[in-house]
Amino acid sequence: MSFFVESFFSAFKLVGALDPELLLIVRVSLTVSCIATVSAATVGIPLGFIIAYGNLPGKRAVITILNTLLALPTVVIGLFVYTFISRRGVFGALDLLYTQQAMVIGQFILIVPLVTALTVAAVSRVDERYRKTAKTLGANTWQTALIVLREGRFGIGAAVISAFGRVISEIGISMMLGGNIKGFTRTMTTAMALEYDKGSFTLAVALGLVLIAISLGMNILFNLVQGKSTR
Amino acid sequence: MMLYALTHITQRYHQRTVLDIDHLAIETGSIYALLGPNGAGKTTLLNILSFLEAPTSGTIAFRGQVVDHSHAAMQQLRRQVVLVDQHPIMFSTSVCSNIEFGLKIRKIDKARRQHIVDETLETVGLRSFKHVAAHALSGGETQRLALARALALEPDVLLCDEPTASVDVENQAVIQVLLQQINEQRGTTIIFTTHDRLQAAALAHQTLVLESGRLATTTYENSYTCTLHAAEHGTMRCRLHGIVEIPLPLRLQDYRQSAGSGRIYIDPEKIRLFRAELQQPNTQQIAGTIVLVMSEGEKIRVVVNIGVLMVVLMDRSSYQQERPAIGETMHLQLATDAVTLM
Repeated sequence: MSFFVESFFSAFKLVGALDPELLLIVRVSLTVSCIATVSAATVGIPLGFIIAYGNLPGKRAVITILNTLLALPTVVIGLFVYTFISRRGVFGALDLLYTQQAMVIGQFILIVPLVTALTVAAVSRVDERYRKTAKTLGANTWQTALIVLREGRFGIGAAVISAFGRVISEIGISMMLGGNIKGFTRTMTTAMALEYDKGSFTLAVALGLVLIAISLGMNILFNLVQGKSTR
Repeated sequence: MMLYALTHITQRYHQRTVLDIDHLAIETGSIYALLGPNGAGKTTLLNILSFLEAPTSGTIAFRGQVVDHSHAAMQQLRRQVVLVDQHPIMFSTSVCSNIEFGLKIRKIDKARRQHIVDETLETVGLRSFKHVAAHALSGGETQRLALARALALEPDVLLCDEPTASVDVENQAVIQVLLQQINEQRGTTIIFTTHDRLQAAALAHQTLVLESGRLATTTYENSYTCTLHAAEHGTMRCRLHGIVEIPLPLRLQDYRQSAGSGRIYIDPEKIRLFRAELQQPNTQQIAGTIVLVMSEGEKIRVVVNIGVLMVVLMDRSSYQQERPAIGETMHLQLATDAVTLM
């Protein structure tokens, strides 16, 4: 019991003292996750909108594939990207392996289906009358689409928040493509795994506390956005 | 001047014909009421008139020009016609922004937009709600805002799908007065759907009745779903709305072949109303209770509950003679040409 209390006490002290190593790890995590989320949102939101709004053939099949991709394990994505960016891979010459870019690519692949699928759900939930109303008030196709997008904004915002929550807490891709290099590709989750292996719990628990705080913050934001969308 | 001329218009969804109109002419500056039961095709017709849907077949002429149903042409025409839904939906912005939407699309400058918004909100009595979130309004206020949003665009034609169906009595009166004002002051052609024949009579210059997608020559009242079946002595009887059974007058024995389900229309001017004590022998009569008596122009409207409500339009001399009173039980007799099977 004293070991547990001691670890937590030391971890709180580390967080309170703004330990430089801890801050560096948090910064890498946030940088990689933010870039991956913004990139995935840039691709996933328009893609999801087109799938939901447009009358495309094979729409149901696409949605089924997207939903399947949601369950893709991070190690599978890590392995998949590894085969492309390792020295013997197609993009080996770009020397991307064990860089933050490689982690961003992997995380991007992880959450694009999530952002797309949740955007499809958000846009599909927008009342059909918005489209009819915009048209009868004189809107053209683009203006009508923008109205539907605006009315689905809270659901889409929730999709992005959800995607960020997914990447900040993943470990498989970061470990396989980032390599857990100190000060460069070491993220909160990979650092926690390493510290656990070393049997040094103070930094692991401190990072766990930060991760939980970020997750909590994301969930509060998610609930606020969800609440607005259902109001 | 002719505004719309519809010729051989049909609309089909999944092989089912929901609208089939041979000819319909709508004149500029009038108010039209579109009556009919649920599923008669009223909303479909409004969608076609508002250029939101192209008909499956047939031609529409708008202001003498045959309408080209291409995407761009329909969009241009929609700038002149606005449809207000039965359950209008407001954008999740303020009342002001909702009204501004169509004006921004028409590239009207901000100062002019604000002036129009203020003026329109004043017209519909929502001035104090200008900066309120549109979703926070009540049902009646939402309906008025939907009208304001349409009126701000000063359309040539205003189409309203059951504008008073989901609002309280106070808002119903406000909306009716508004529609009349718009028509009188701006000369806007108004076409609205309703189930309320009285509202149609009070507001509209002309009334159109739709029955199963077709324009009917009958008035909307006394129109029932019915099941016909043969009775004793070679007569026919008809069950209205599956509730009450009435004998059919003799002329309809010709319809013996048509036993089954359908719709029946009973002309309210061809129903005689008798006091019980004046009941004549050997006539097929239906007993009912008087529930409403009111004056309507040269006629007296009497509503009789025979299990379903049936309207009788009496001339004043018959009324003086019979003097039906609310709550009294009286008898109805249908003239031989009162019934039309549809």
